[in-house]
Amino acid sequence: MRSRQPDFAEFYRAAKDECLFAVLMSVGDRDTAQDLVAEAFARAWASWPTVSAHPAPAAWVVRTALNAGVSRWRRRRREVPVPDLAIIADRPAADAAGGGVDPLVMAALSRLPERQRQVVALRLFLDLDTERTARVLGIAPGTVQAHLGRAMASLRSELIPIWQEESRQ
Amino acid sequence: MNDDELITVLREQRGKVVMTTPVEQIISRGRSVRARHRVPGVAAGVGAAAAAAVAVGVAFPAGHPAVRPPSASESASPPSVRLEAWTVTRQAGGSIKVTFRQATDPAGLQQTLRADGVPVSVTFTGEQNTACQPYHVTASQAFWPYGSRPGPLDGSGFINHPERAYTTPYAFVIDPSALPSGAGLQIWTSGTPGAADNFQLHVTLVKTSPQCTGSAGS
Repeated sequence: MRSRQPDFAEFYRAAKDECLFAVLMSVGDRDTAQDLVAEAFARAWASWPTVSAHPAPAAWVVRTALNAGVSRWRRRRREVPVPDLAIIADRPAADAAGGGVDPLVMAALSRLPERQRQVVALRLFLDLDTERTARVLGIAPGTVQAHLGRAMASLRSELIPIWQEESRQ
Repeated sequence: MNDDELITVLREQRGKVVMTTPVEQIISRGRSVRARHRVPGVAAGVGAAAAAAVAVGVAFPAGHPAVRPPSASESASPPSVRLEAWTVTRQAGGSIKVTFRQATDPAGLQQTLRADGVPVSVTFTGEQNTACQPYHVTASQAFWPYGSRPGPLDGSGFINHPERAYTTPYAFVIDPSALPSGAGLQIWTSGTPGAADNFQLHVTLVKTSPQCTGSAGS
């Protein structure tokens, strides 16, 4: 019990930013993401003996935060606000909402289906391999690859033309 | 731009986000989460046996946190007051205020109260101390947990603010000098942790004895 806090504090310092980023890319709002991640870390602390033995504790936190986000959404019975690409690009507050993240990237990610966003968060932003991502999400490795492939195709088609246009200007 | 380049650009965004919530705040919330899983809450209630041993049942509001006292290592960093399971504070005039948040560390609470001159037995096992015998009181000696009627427990009071369940504990005040001769207190819990509306803290008048209150009998 007495080693719970130092161990957890070290984990928190090391993983908090990447977990926040992964969740932010999924929910699209900085404040909401921070609330969800804070709650997920609190649950991790409450179950630290178990979570610390998890093969990927950061992934556990992200998954918990995303599940909490879904639960919150279901409780409120309303749509999760998905930033519109055109609107967010013109909105001065976009940077604040995304905490400095490119609003175009956030908007493109927000358009992905939920499962694809989760796969992107774990595979690309937490650097989990396919097998581990599959275990965390409870799906088959092949399904992870399929979701990632579709997500990359969507992001490519949405972001690359904009970046190319910007580079020409 | 191929997929690898796209992934690189996406990952470059990571350094732009910083989680600002202090770890102390996370841990504090974690304690509440853990407590919520262990101890349920219920509405307030009071039970008193007239002309007999007096028992006061204090129930826990829904979602009320149950948190243990901070460990030595945790005490190294300044915890919030609400992290403690209970606190015992000597007040002016010699009365003792007990602020109760969670049924943990009964031996510590018992030792603390005894050191402050309260003959007491504390058990959080769901059972009363079998060594304790009820102390029968007359009506004039019965304490009154809510009003201003004087007595061993002045009841200044049992605090219950369910809307602030995570921050507002229960508190009661013991006046050791007002305890009848040969009487001590037994603090114990009953009910089923984890079952809503079925967990109570009791404060009962008992006869003092070495086995029960750690003090000589009358």
